[in-house]
Amino acid sequence: MTTPTLPGAGLLKGMAVTFKTMVKTLIRPGRYLATVNYPKEKEIPVPRARGVIALDQEACTVCMLCARSCPDWCIYIEGHKEEKPPDKPGGRVRVRATLDRFDIDYALCMYCGICVEVCPFDALFWSPEYEYSEYEMGDMLHDMDRLQDWLATVPEPPPLES
Amino acid sequence: MSIDHDTLRHLSEVSVAVELETPEMTLNIGPQHPSTHGVLRLVAKVDGERCYDVQPVIGYMHRGYEKLSEVRTYPQITTIINRIDWVSGYANEIPFIVAAERLMELEVPERAQYIRLILTEMARIASHLVFNASYPLELGAATPLFFALRERERVLDLLEGVTGGRFHPNFNRIGGVKPAYGAGSQTRKLAQDLPKGFLAETRQAMDRVLEVCDELEDLVAGNEIILARTKGIGTIPPEVAAAYGVSGPNLRASGVRFDLRKVEDYLPYDRFDWEVPVGENGDCWDRWWVRLQEIRQSAKIIQQAIDSIPSGPLQAKVPKVIKVPKGETYVRAENPKGEMGYYLISEGGLGPYRLKIRSASFSNISILPWLLEGVLVPDIIAIMGSLDFVLGDVDR
Repeated sequence: MTTPTLPGAGLLKGMAVTFKTMVKTLIRPGRYLATVNYPKEKEIPVPRARGVIALDQEACTVCMLCARSCPDWCIYIEGHKEEKPPDKPGGRVRVRATLDRFDIDYALCMYCGICVEVCPFDALFWSPEYEYSEYEMGDMLHDMDRLQDWLATVPEPPPLES
Repeated sequence: MSIDHDTLRHLSEVSVAVELETPEMTLNIGPQHPSTHGVLRLVAKVDGERCYDVQPVIGYMHRGYEKLSEVRTYPQITTIINRIDWVSGYANEIPFIVAAERLMELEVPERAQYIRLILTEMARIASHLVFNASYPLELGAATPLFFALRERERVLDLLEGVTGGRFHPNFNRIGGVKPAYGAGSQTRKLAQDLPKGFLAETRQAMDRVLEVCDELEDLVAGNEIILARTKGIGTIPPEVAAAYGVSGPNLRASGVRFDLRKVEDYLPYDRFDWEVPVGENGDCWDRWWVRLQEIRQSAKIIQQAIDSIPSGPLQAKVPKVIKVPKGETYVRAENPKGEMGYYLISEGGLGPYRLKIRSASFSNISILPWLLEGVLVPDIIAIMGSLDFVLGDVDR
């Protein structure tokens, strides 16, 4: 740490940094610019970004594991048992649980991802989509059809190191 | 126009002769003041420009995390404790996870420990860069903010690439790091390892961080205004700092060479070559300087860790439903703000019986009444900013 001898020398040194950065930014904007012009340009979120949870209705078996492990209980699930006729005559009548309601209240959600992690049937996925803000708080409750729509935006898991 | 010496003396006599009533005034700073990093309220009794009694009023952000932890399971608690000190959410998870692992007597795989170490140091860099951005801003210099936040953004992007969250990573699990999302049949085999190219990008980012440290030093270190506002202001002698339980960079600025990363063994810091920067006088300037040096040391640690990261498994063998055996333990770790500790008492259930959180900022601001006695009103902001607290960390 050197103390400047001339009065104002420290200020000028700071100014020099600012000026150098301005020139460098003009020459190489990709390296130095950190902001994007949001509504016109968009940042591409990383594949693992926890943006919104997508639901695969076909895979869900209404086991309620996600709803029970949610730290703030923002998942609402209702379902009923449906009898499926046997595939061939004389076979067993299969009982299959079907979803009536699968709502996630994103106004409450803490985006921890525990529900996605505990799901034993791969019915929940993270999607990096983030543009779903609403004017009304109640509209933050996404029902099962809307959650199903997010499924199309789920990216492939990124390749791994080593 | 020139005023001769006699006229000046005459003027000064006039001002002395006037009897001015200066009654004591109570000045409320906060709870909504930009320099309070949240909602801290200071009740300052001021006499003119000098304040002789300051009482911090805390509790505006009390969220009851200690109590909440008693009714949550272990995997859910990491979600909550991410939000204690939100500037470095990742570093908060480590002591709690290590406490639970010690009670369960788990051996965490090497690679998982290295990943934890790298990400913790990145969280430290991000936190200290926020300090380097906001502290000059509170003193009136806006330019360092853009320099520091630009690099912090890159560090946070990398952190997000691994964990999925910029502020609340929630990446550590008891026994290792996060498993692959969807433990179902299709994705079960995918481990949540570092994404490809992360190590190379981090090495580049660390070079940039070191570069921006030099720039910040050029911007701030020579600046006469900042020197005048920080040198010799808010001096904490080492024995007072220790008596109030001040920890972290604030303690080291007072000249105490005490870093929990060197003392405790919660992560393999002893394998790397780094040093603990200490200040000389314990004033605001030293607190700024120590944090800048810590960014450099953290970048150094990360670069060494990238060189020597082992390959291997990421998760120890843990049961699907985590129950921590009966017992109690206290694990403390060096958070960017100071010592963060969790006193975990388990009765063998799904969640802790009691979780006492010792957060750094709470102890760090407890010195405020002592420190702010007799200082000038503008110095309150300079001193408060230099302590680098976050109100979520104070109130929990």
